[in-house]
Amino acid sequence: MKAVGARLPRYDGVGHVTGQTQFVDDVRVREMLWAKALRSPHHHAAITRMDTSKAEAMPGVEAVITHADVPLLEYGHLSALGIPADEPLLAKDEVRYKGQPIALVAAEDADTARAGVEAIEIDYEERPTLFDVRKAFDDDAPTVHRWGNWYPHFEGEMDRRQIRKGNIEEAFEAADTIVSGVYRPAAIEHAPLETQVSMVVPEPDGRLTVYSCTQALYFSLGVMAAHLQVPLNRLKVVGGTVGGGFGGKVDTASETVTALAAMKANRPVKWRWTREEEFLASSTRAPWHMEIIDAVTSDGWILGRKMLTLHDSGAYARFSPYGLTKHSFHHTGAYTIPNLHFDGYVVFTNRVPTTAMRGFGVTSVSFATETHMSRIADVLGLDPFEVRLKNANRINDTSPNMITYPDPSTVDVVLSIAEATDHSLDDAYMSMSRAQRSGDMLPEHLAAQIGEGHEHASLHALVHGVDNDSEGN
Amino acid sequence: MNITLNGVSRQISSPPLTPLLRVLRNELNVVSAKAGCEAGGCGACTVLVDGRPQRSCLTAVGSLNGAAVTTLEGLGTSENLSAVQQAFVHHYAAQCGFCTPGMVVAATAYLDAGGSDDKEAIQEALGGHVCRCTGYLKIVNAIAAAATQSEFDLTITAEEPNVVVKTGGR
Repeated sequence: MKAVGARLPRYDGVGHVTGQTQFVDDVRVREMLWAKALRSPHHHAAITRMDTSKAEAMPGVEAVITHADVPLLEYGHLSALGIPADEPLLAKDEVRYKGQPIALVAAEDADTARAGVEAIEIDYEERPTLFDVRKAFDDDAPTVHRWGNWYPHFEGEMDRRQIRKGNIEEAFEAADTIVSGVYRPAAIEHAPLETQVSMVVPEPDGRLTVYSCTQALYFSLGVMAAHLQVPLNRLKVVGGTVGGGFGGKVDTASETVTALAAMKANRPVKWRWTREEEFLASSTRAPWHMEIIDAVTSDGWILGRKMLTLHDSGAYARFSPYGLTKHSFHHTGAYTIPNLHFDGYVVFTNRVPTTAMRGFGVTSVSFATETHMSRIADVLGLDPFEVRLKNANRINDTSPNMITYPDPSTVDVVLSIAEATDHSLDDAYMSMSRAQRSGDMLPEHLAAQIGEGHEHASLHALVHGVDNDSEGN
Repeated sequence: MNITLNGVSRQISSPPLTPLLRVLRNELNVVSAKAGCEAGGCGACTVLVDGRPQRSCLTAVGSLNGAAVTTLEGLGTSENLSAVQQAFVHHYAAQCGFCTPGMVVAATAYLDAGGSDDKEAIQEALGGHVCRCTGYLKIVNAIAAAATQSEFDLTITAEEPNVVVKTGGR
């Protein structure tokens, strides 16, 4: 515990302020080629013809990579968990978002690589597009993904992440008021100062040294090895210095294609995205559509929650099923609601694929649940602190996915906020603690369901498609 | 043509319309200035030209014949950190580090021109420098501190943790 309270300068601080920190773009090797990508100019289109011969014949162009060069074209970011793959490393016969990579040209300098990209002949046939998750379920909605417009593989075969807990009908019958709200946080580009970049160096022993800005080095190693169909020991990934990531560098965005170009040219290749590419084609935080309908008592207890979430996955699944699952586990926020009915869909659109960003799936639902807590207080004419303190998690309460909270801190956090903001509360609230709900703190609706001694006998928890042993954070 | 880079005269062979940033990084292998946007929008490529901060990505090298160019490498070494560099470490103003070269260069120019610890003036001077990690507060605090202080404590105050390697079962 000697480090607690001590001043510990950043281990990389001196390197940062003297310019000695070596980012991927700063690594110098001889004979390096620059790569540029052909990206889809359309949100959704069939590729009807592609001819790279003119690009390949250009002086200075050393490699042109297309789908035909990829040993395993489709490998999903969650493939290691048994989830089917849906995204080609380079588009083959269809592009599903604007900016989707189709081909990579490696050349002696960046301008030649760009000229090579422009020399690729390609024809498209535009297809109808879908950008609004709310329209994905309409009969006349265009189909934008080969699985349909929403992900169908939860637990192998379910088309939604579903949570059922308690008895939602009874909760709504017992309610004094129903409070509903719709919450739609927008997509956010991580916008790291360092754009996506990788450099791959073929070594004399046949291995590849991969300089990567990845936030998830071992994950990228596995994804690369799968696409390239090489054993892990052929790849030496050098990472750890990330010029800003915020979740946006969890996807393996550039390394694998760069490696293919380096292998084909047998020269080091660097692929550094421009700022425009970063904004256009790198993954973003998802836009989320969340509808909450709560059954509440007039004194501010939440009896039950019905919730529908439409998670905009963009054109491919990537990590979205995982993000929505985390989201579903947190859809009551830091509060305990005994009766739940949650349906969440990973919806495909013709937007750029979405990914992790600082609390994947949870930040968005926290925005919705906290805004909704204040809305409940507004509707009932109650103090928002009191509504939060009443419903706050207590020891031995259970999360939507039936994880028991051994030591939840909601009450302490809300009380410290009240103190920090000089918000006065009655003694009944000031004296609340995280201790197990009992006695006066056990309201009628919870008494009936939980009873004394936290016997969960009458709490009919039925959680579909959720592994109760999996992470609950 | 020639420039004086960090006090050393250097011959330039790139075409005159080549951005200074590319000359520094690709011809001269001086890489502290970063290609954050290459459109003048982020400030990560900032260098000093005859003492004034300038976006190297928008500066044609042909306009610099005979000029003195200073990059972060020319401001202080790890053994001899400038006050601004020390302040950035002490105040945790460098997080991922990618915007830091431009920030330190611009802050140095601000203070060399007589800038004070007035935080609004610092924000004005650093306007257009984008940082996505710190939220800017630590950067402004570091520059304000460097305006009035030349030495900063960079020592680690924690004792070395006692690491005992145990063998056998727990």
